[in-house]
Amino acid sequence: MKSKFTWILTLFLAFGLQFSFAQEKTISGTVTDQDGLPLPGANVSVKGTARGTQTDFDGNYSLSASVGEVLTFSYIGQKSEERTVGTSSTINVQLMADSQALEEVVVLGYATTNKAELTGSTVQLNAEAIEQAPVASVDQVLQGKVAGLVITNSSGTPGSTTDIRIRGISSITAGNEPLYVIDGVPVVNNNVSATSSGSSLSPLASINPNNIESMTVLKDASATAAYGARGANGVIVITTKTGKSGKTVFNLSTSYGFSNDATDGPTVLTGAQREMLFYEALYNTYGAAYDFDIDGAQAFYEANTGSFGNDYVVWNAAGRPEAHWADVVTNRDAPIQEYNLSASGGDETSNFFASLGYYKQEATVIGSDFDRITGQLNFSKQLSPAFRFSTTNSASHSYQDGLLETSAYFSSPRTIKFFQPPIEMPYNEDGSINLNTTLPNPLWIAQEDIDDSKFTRIITNNSLTWDTPVENLSFTTRVNIDYQVYNYKRYRNRIDGDGSSTNGYGWQANRNRANYVFQNSVDYTWNVSDDHSFDFKVLQEYQKNRLYYLEADGDSFGDDGLTNLNSAGNPTTANSWYTDWAVASYMGLMHYSAFNGRYVFDATYRREGNSRFASDNRWGNFWSVGGAWNIHRESFLEGSNLFSNLKLRASYGVTGNANIDLNQYQALLNYDSDYAGEGASYPGTFGNNDLSWETSHTYDIGIEMGFFRNRITANVGYYNRESKDLLLDVPLSLTTGFTSQTRNIGRMENKGIEVEANFEIIRSNDFNLSIGGNFASNNNEVLELAKDAFGEEINITNGIKRVETGHTVYEWYMPSYAGVDPDTGVDLWYTDGEGSETTTTFSQANSVYQGSSALPTFTAGMNFHIDVKGFFLDAQGYYAGGHKVYEDWARYTNGRDLFTLLYYNGVDAILDRWQQPGDTGTRFGKMEFTTFPWQRDNKFLYDGDFFRLRNVTFGYDFNQDFLDTIGFSAARVFVRGTNMFTWVKDDRMKYDPETDATGYLKLATPPVKSVVFGVNLKF
Amino acid sequence: MTLLAGSSACTTEDLEPSTEQNKPIEGGIISVSNLYGVLKGAYSMMTSSGYYGRDIIINGEVRGTDNCFSNGNSGRFTTEASLSYNPNSTYIWDNCYDVIASANVIIGTDATTLTGDMGEAEHYQGQAYVMRALAHYDLLRTYGQQHVGGTLGVPYVTEFKGEDLFPARESVSDNVTSIMADLDMGFSLMDDSYDDGSKQFISKFTAMAIKSRVAIYFGQWSVAATAAKAVIDSGDFSIVAASNFVSSWVGESAQNSIFELAFSATDNQGINGLAYIYRLGPNGSYGDVQVLDEVIDLYEDTDVRKDILGYEDDMLRNIGKYPNNQGYDNVPIIRYEEVVLNYAEALLETGDASGALTQLNLITSNRGATAYTVANKDNILNERRKELMFEGFRFDDLMRTGQDLVKTSLQQNILQTIPYGDSRLAYPIPRTEMDVNSNMEQNPGYGN
Repeated sequence: MKSKFTWILTLFLAFGLQFSFAQEKTISGTVTDQDGLPLPGANVSVKGTARGTQTDFDGNYSLSASVGEVLTFSYIGQKSEERTVGTSSTINVQLMADSQALEEVVVLGYATTNKAELTGSTVQLNAEAIEQAPVASVDQVLQGKVAGLVITNSSGTPGSTTDIRIRGISSITAGNEPLYVIDGVPVVNNNVSATSSGSSLSPLASINPNNIESMTVLKDASATAAYGARGANGVIVITTKTGKSGKTVFNLSTSYGFSNDATDGPTVLTGAQREMLFYEALYNTYGAAYDFDIDGAQAFYEANTGSFGNDYVVWNAAGRPEAHWADVVTNRDAPIQEYNLSASGGDETSNFFASLGYYKQEATVIGSDFDRITGQLNFSKQLSPAFRFSTTNSASHSYQDGLLETSAYFSSPRTIKFFQPPIEMPYNEDGSINLNTTLPNPLWIAQEDIDDSKFTRIITNNSLTWDTPVENLSFTTRVNIDYQVYNYKRYRNRIDGDGSSTNGYGWQANRNRANYVFQNSVDYTWNVSDDHSFDFKVLQEYQKNRLYYLEADGDSFGDDGLTNLNSAGNPTTANSWYTDWAVASYMGLMHYSAFNGRYVFDATYRREGNSRFASDNRWGNFWSVGGAWNIHRESFLEGSNLFSNLKLRASYGVTGNANIDLNQYQALLNYDSDYAGEGASYPGTFGNNDLSWETSHTYDIGIEMGFFRNRITANVGYYNRESKDLLLDVPLSLTTGFTSQTRNIGRMENKGIEVEANFEIIRSNDFNLSIGGNFASNNNEVLELAKDAFGEEINITNGIKRVETGHTVYEWYMPSYAGVDPDTGVDLWYTDGEGSETTTTFSQANSVYQGSSALPTFTAGMNFHIDVKGFFLDAQGYYAGGHKVYEDWARYTNGRDLFTLLYYNGVDAILDRWQQPGDTGTRFGKMEFTTFPWQRDNKFLYDGDFFRLRNVTFGYDFNQDFLDTIGFSAARVFVRGTNMFTWVKDDRMKYDPETDATGYLKLATPPVKSVVFGVNLKF
Repeated sequence: MTLLAGSSACTTEDLEPSTEQNKPIEGGIISVSNLYGVLKGAYSMMTSSGYYGRDIIINGEVRGTDNCFSNGNSGRFTTEASLSYNPNSTYIWDNCYDVIASANVIIGTDATTLTGDMGEAEHYQGQAYVMRALAHYDLLRTYGQQHVGGTLGVPYVTEFKGEDLFPARESVSDNVTSIMADLDMGFSLMDDSYDDGSKQFISKFTAMAIKSRVAIYFGQWSVAATAAKAVIDSGDFSIVAASNFVSSWVGESAQNSIFELAFSATDNQGINGLAYIYRLGPNGSYGDVQVLDEVIDLYEDTDVRKDILGYEDDMLRNIGKYPNNQGYDNVPIIRYEEVVLNYAEALLETGDASGALTQLNLITSNRGATAYTVANKDNILNERRKELMFEGFRFDDLMRTGQDLVKTSLQQNILQTIPYGDSRLAYPIPRTEMDVNSNMEQNPGYGN
């Protein structure tokens, strides 16, 4: 990096010698609207520079400018005005209403632009849509609001990660997560949790949503091109709040509410049902051979407890008590609370935003919660007429008391109802916890065991901008440090559960991440004439990520209640590792606007090098071009009553993806092995020196329309993204000793349409009514895969999913179930898919494609707003469909065998079973006294379509007269319901329809349904 | 503008990733001790739960045999026990070829280029040859078609990242030839002056002991007799006495051990190990693999091997072999008593019935069991069953003697007797292999 700083100095010197500073003075004035009323918050900027301010509450502003410079005055919904600085120190401006130009400023990360001049496909959410959503992780607010964005929760446990897919899946091996950018800097957003058997923790859970000014989702090549090398999966740009000049404004927001599981999940068998089915199984299996009928099954059982155990004998003797495990582990009406206090303001030369926040959410099962303390300080100061310093700083500490989840963990409260026999009681008669249960008692586990994540994150982003003496040329240098400290602690008690066999078990892991970003950029605006202007940006960026990991575990604890490794008598693991990666880039961006934005053209180029590739293949080139034609600004539409906006846009570009494991290009020996007490090594990666970037080639066209002064708006777009040179873990013959080699091979296509529409049915001062929605489709097809020595394509089978050319990536692939044999009650399968011969032998049923994958092929969002005299009601819904999801643990939970009837428990769906010859149409075959092996067929593959009423908010904004008397500038009370209603298409699906992106219903924690009451005060 | 674009602030070198936990394979093996590191890595792979850490041993007991069954307590091994596996599982296919890959790294290294003691290097290479032979033998007895009416064996891989990355299956007989050649090569390369006596590494006579096992399996009786005799004549090992039999399963390096894999308090399979699957234990383990009730009747009351058995409630269990519930016990891969029984069988088959009887009764006399009066195939198989119970031999003994898997007990997971020759007696080639390697041929009876 040494050479870079040398160069910065050179630039300073060069310009310093050539130009002298112009004379500056302070200009002040008042900005008013068409009615002469002051406009607070209007932007005043010196054209072609980054200098600017906003008007205060009385519409007053003040800033420094030189004679001859041009001041631009703008305000959303008003026509912008320009004034050249002359001899006067006072410039008052009246901005007239401009219904045609209700223009939103869109934040693109490295740049901002107004919506009309956008050539790419983006969606921006502003603060109001983000604040006070009762979620720990801010990305969750995006659901249903962005066409083409599919978001799924890995778990409803507060703080968990979410899977976001923008316009489908572009890569088979490399990541499909979008790039996250906070305040202009790419950040790392991997799950920070150290455990794969417990709750995940999202880095975004460390960010306070109330500090966010906007979130912009960049979808196409033109919009993402500035991040081209890593933009193939889309980019989510988060911008934190800044202060505005004027009197200090305080904002206090508090909310408190309650949450429960959004869906109840399957109902399990009661003890009585389970016993009945158990006798039926005995009868079906042994009745003929031992000559008893269904009514004689109980007697046969009781006479042979040596073979069958005596569980039900004991239960009957105890008076047949029912356990209701699901109820005892539920944390009903789990509280959610949030408190935020912020202050923002500024003077002529500086502004600030500062906030403190606290968020706490209990999980809907016992023994789990999440809380977070955050602080933010953003400060910006005009150091001198030419230099502006800006810093944004956030610090947070999150604590997540997690649990075992996402698989069939016996000690987890999330799985207990499926596995703990319902004939075993949670409590003893004296009220103490029953530790004599088949599986560990989750009441005891929640009380004694520990699964804690502590996550501290500090992000500091500092920039210095120099408005060079060259007109419209500015230089910015920026340093960002994202430092993350993570500690995980697991403890398993000595008495009952996973630690009892080793007299306790403890594990702690520490992971520190330091991520540095250095940026230098030059901005230049060239106003050729009134009708033509160019904006240029050239940027250089270097990012380095360092990850330090340290863990230890041990068992044989000295006493109960001592949970640190200090007390572990037998240390069993000590482990540490370090990894790093680096990215270097050069980027150039040009924006051309002609005739007041009638014609817009963007071109972007980025060259990026990544440490994941061998030195000869490290660098990739990415680019895009985009154009827009604002037809409504043409003379023939001027004054049109119909069209207030009519824009065509199109873009094409190449973006990249390098999101693969580190060091894959190198053929390496691994040393994380040992034998007989000594370290050992083995071949770890196959290696591939040719490894390089995966690229996505996207074209995107769209039309944006606004009718009747934008009362009706509609956008329709089409995209086609072909991903090439896929970073693919090409399976190797296992005879090589490796499973795969990462190569650049294969092609895949995603295409679809996206529609957004909004209709303001009533628009007036004190009564507004609007409805809107979005729709997106996504069609994925694998176009090409790697070939083996004979030129045959190598398909990739991953359990019950397969990747094959001509199919959707990871399409479901398994034998098809043919129902129950009406004569014998056994399961039947099609030997070769639906319609073929049937067989009773599972292994003779070939796997066939099931027509869809786990990724929705279409999604829709709906919103509704009404406000009347301060009262308002907002509702928002989300629909996803065209995909299928798989009930992963059906072998146990839906077993018509001993797993359900004797060892564990199962769902009550199995009551719909075959009982006697001639029974047809039952969902399940006969109960049998056996245990069936894994037989994954499409019986448990369900349509994934669902609708969810995501949010309903009802509130009241106090009117200004009242506020004036009590001294507030704004006050709002509201109640918000989240996930209040859920509909699923497939009535066999009892689990929550929101699975993670893999589509497996794996006993995961469902999202929460919450009701939150809130108060916001501004003063 | 050109100034900025032209000034390369960050170069390709700034993007060099660190590799603090790894070394490049190329140039990573420059000394004999580097070679030793890879060798230990290969041993470590053999200890994995999918291989000798659990699965291959359990499979030899539960696959429809008259020893054990899966009660499905945690859902484990019901598929194997009912022989209803499908190509989705890789079973030991990947584990074995991983071991073979590491062995080939060692074998393929030109020892003369290494710094250190050449003899030591060859001793390690000899171990790698034996390892390669054993892993191929394990593949062959699992996937080979010798019991399902076919002739195909498995690919015999002798090069690391060799030219043929998509190998086809060779014939069973070619595989056997290669295995024998590797064992002989291993024997000739090893020099036991480099052996630490811990039994945790393959030594010279491990090669011969395993050779006797392979020869028995494929009916090469004189080869088996010669190999077994070589082990016996070495005098390095002895049959463990009756009084020590049960305790020999606790601890390490017993006198009857020829080669055992090291498991310790810090390096073990834990809940994925043998003990956890064989027993429920006081604190609750998986405990899926239960012993058929009638197994207890095999043993006379005076037979110390009866003490290996025990009850948890009314479930008959393996209590004595691999006793540590966390899997801290070493797992014997080949022990002297097996070699004696191999010798007995080889003598019988080569016409020396009295010699066979002598060998056979060396076992009974050290177990508190009544001596046999005659050595015949049934007696020898019966004694093998009793002596090697729970060690994963039963399925192979039934197969190599052409026996059906007979449904004799309600407890067995098979629905009815599976006749010798049934396609289920060979495992399917994993689907992942079939997907990748169009040279590979699937075993009969398995779909795609």
